[in-house]
Amino acid sequence: MLFEVHDESIPLDLLDDHAWSELVACFNSRMWAVARAAGLGTADAADAVQGAWLRLVESVDRIRDPQAIGAWLMTTTRREALRLGRKAGQEFPTDPPDLYEHPTFLTPDPTTEIVDADYGRTLWSRVSRLDEPCRTMLRLFALNPDARNAQVAARMQLPVGSVGPTKKRCSAKLRTLLAEDPVEH
Amino acid sequence: MTTDDTALETYLLASMRLAAHADPAPRRLATDAMAALAMRLPGCVVAAPADLAAASGARADGRPQMHRFAAGETTLDVETTVTDGLLEIAGQVSPPPAPSAYVEIRTPHLAKVRVPSSDGQFAVTGLPPGWVSVAYHRPSDPPVVTRWLRVRA
Repeated sequence: MLFEVHDESIPLDLLDDHAWSELVACFNSRMWAVARAAGLGTADAADAVQGAWLRLVESVDRIRDPQAIGAWLMTTTRREALRLGRKAGQEFPTDPPDLYEHPTFLTPDPTTEIVDADYGRTLWSRVSRLDEPCRTMLRLFALNPDARNAQVAARMQLPVGSVGPTKKRCSAKLRTLLAEDPVEH
Repeated sequence: MTTDDTALETYLLASMRLAAHADPAPRRLATDAMAALAMRLPGCVVAAPADLAAASGARADGRPQMHRFAAGETTLDVETTVTDGLLEIAGQVSPPPAPSAYVEIRTPHLAKVRVPSSDGQFAVTGLPPGWVSVAYHRPSDPPVVTRWLRVRA
């Protein structure tokens, strides 16, 4: 069984220090970005990322598609982040699926491939096409990882209660833009 | 908003931050990721939480948290407490262990070994809070390991 890291094929059953360090170099920053984008503070995000690596060690023999190992890592990071955030009392828009009961535990989210700096650079160009308040709001959330709704509301002079729904609406508009003019990746 | 929409929103935001270098990963993250590899125990049997609602990710808040893990007929009960910033674990394996069996309480940075009592009880103190897993080494069978559990004060 093989998976691809930096165009190299590495036997999955030979996860030695070198192969593992390649995986870490390739995916650790992306996993961090996912954990933080899921709403965690720095300490919990670090736990979520390390938890995903430990889950990989725990589950490596059961992963169905070794070529999707990066997608699996990012999916697991997001699910772990949702679980840790829920335990910490954070509010999330939807109840996160249990990592182990969820039928797709070993099936990665289909969209993890977009977690990539090159893709992100093109995303920024799409954001610049959005109208206000979406352009400013998405920029604020992207450039201020610890910003909470109240801070964004104060900065944009919006009611606090409107920030969450507006952010969802703006993300939907961005997705519409992407659907109309897909990013090459 | 569906779960897929929520996931996509998370991934879009993550991509924008990666491109903007807005929130670089802390250096110790790579060290922690490398430490995870050393936790691999080839041939082990993973014991799943028997009570998922109370299982991993719990915050101890100074009160003991009970967790049960099961693999076949083997059960590991793990009680976690964070006291003065350090993790204490008391547990029990069942059925009662063979004389040469031992328990290894593992964190990514420190592991401690205990020989359980004849009725399967074990305890350890002074571990760093965070991710922890218990490995139950048996003389004639593969080791049984609990799923990783996060315990914070």
